[in-house]
This record gives sequence, structure tokens and C-alpha cells, in this order.
Amino acid sequence: MEAVFSSKYYTFFQSDKERCFYIDLGQKVVRLSFCQLLALRQKVSNIRIEDHFDAELNTHGFEILALCNKEHLFILNTLEILDLKELLVGAFAMFEVSLSPVV
Amino acid sequence: MKDIARQSLSIKVECMDLLNNQIKKEAHASATYLAMASWCDQNGFFTGAKFFYKQAEEEREHMMKIFQFVIDAGGNALSPEINGISHEYSSIVDIFENALDHEISVTKSIHNIVMKAREVGDLATEKFLDWFVLEQVEEENTIRDILDMIELTGIEGVGLQIIDGKINDWID
Ligand SMILES: [Fe+2]
Ligand SMILES: [Fe+2]
Repeated sequence: MEAVFSSKYYTFFQSDKERCFYIDLGQKVVRLSFCQLLALRQKVSNIRIEDHFDAELNTHGFEILALCNKEHLFILNTLEILDLKELLVGAFAMFEVSLSPVV
Repeated sequence: MKDIARQSLSIKVECMDLLNNQIKKEAHASATYLAMASWCDQNGFFTGAKFFYKQAEEEREHMMKIFQFVIDAGGNALSPEINGISHEYSSIVDIFENALDHEISVTKSIHNIVMKAREVGDLATEKFLDWFVLEQVEEENTIRDILDMIELTGIEGVGLQIIDGKINDWID
């Protein structure tokens, strides 16, 4: 297993042997297939962080995140969500499927 | 390290996001045409209604075409949420003018994805969208022709009835 990218709180790993990914979220380590990773990326990028600063839209500033077809459930605060966003952007930037300028 | 992400996904992930957005747009177009069909039916434009029912179906086919492409490329195709469908139209002219504006915004959105695909070297997405680029020219042209026909016919007297009948020429 190789570390691909680390943010402040979390680390993203890839396992060549198992052909999957792991995210160390502190409380536990989550194993993700590529499809599950895409779903997580989608979910996290859809979280509007501005809502956390609106007392009506998000009263407590927490997000409930169900991962891998409801296998895991996380409750993350504003800073943790921001960090998770950063982790996923950083990890995807390491892959060829992500935006890269044509030379 | 292997690039498992690349082995799993044949298009750029940013293009996938834009394609998912386009799925939403096609679904929105389909729902909008359905609203227009409803208006036409309720206001006695029965051929107009037929035209828009068919348009609604076509837009859903567009949506499915993109959906299937995202799936085939190994991506995560998202079933769209649709909201903000207007049912308020002041006249048959208003309907077709709105339809034209809607098609133009879809065209722009498709061009935007093509430009992005080109920029990031995603040839598969770029080629896939070729069909849509040409389809949009046809769609815009159809609505434009109908608007011309409406103007030529005029809405005085039996004009509206004639207009409704003539819309049949664009239903194939
Ligand atoms: Fe379309
Ligand atoms: Fe269209």
C-alpha cells in the first residue's frame, strides 16, 4: 500500500495488489473501490461549505457522510469537510484521469 | 505505482463532471418540452402538443446517450434531479421563443464541454460529442423555421389554427 496524498487530517492510499484505495480518516480506515471513490468524490464536492455559515441551512455545521453504499457513516465538522475536499482534489491530481495540460 | 484510476476510467474526471451536468440539462430540456406540450394541449394547439411530446422524448434519448457513454467509460453516471420547470407561457410564439433560447443554452453547454475536452486532451469525450454538436444545429434550425412560419402565417383570424396544423411538417 502506497500513500498517494496527505492532507492535514487524512491520508489517501492506493493498493496495487488489491486494486483499491484506502482513506485513513483518523477514526477508521476505509477501503474503497474506484467506483466508490468516484461516488465519494461526487458527494464531497457537492457539499456546499457556505451552508455551514448559514444558521438556517446548516444549524450545527456538521455533515453526515455515508460511504461505500452505507457501509460507513461519518459525522464531520466544517474543518474536516474542507480537509476531505482537499484530500480528494490532491489525490485525484496524482492520477492521469485528472486534468492535465496538453503539451 | 499502477494508475488504477486510469485503468478504471477512460475519460478525464473533469469531463465526466461536465457530462453529468449535461445529463441534467437534457433531462431539464425533456421536462421543459413536456410542460410546453401540456400548455399546447390545454390551449387547443394539438399538433403543437404532439411536436413537444416528441421533443420531450428526444431529449430523454439524448440524456440516455450521455448516461450510457459515462457508464461505458467507467464513470459514475448520476440520475438527474430536475427542478424549476416553467408552465407559464403567454402565447404559442412565447413557447417557441423559449424553446429556441433553451436549445441555444444547451448548444453553448455542449460547446463548453468540447472545448474542455480539447483542452485536457480527452479525445474520447470530444469525439463522442461530435454528434451532439451537429444535432444542436438541426434542433435550433427546426425551432427557427417554425418561428418563421408563425410570423409568415400571422396570428390574426384563423392564423393560430393554420399555425398549429403546419407544425405537423416538423414532426417526422
Ligand atoms: Fe438535447
Ligand atoms: Fe434539443
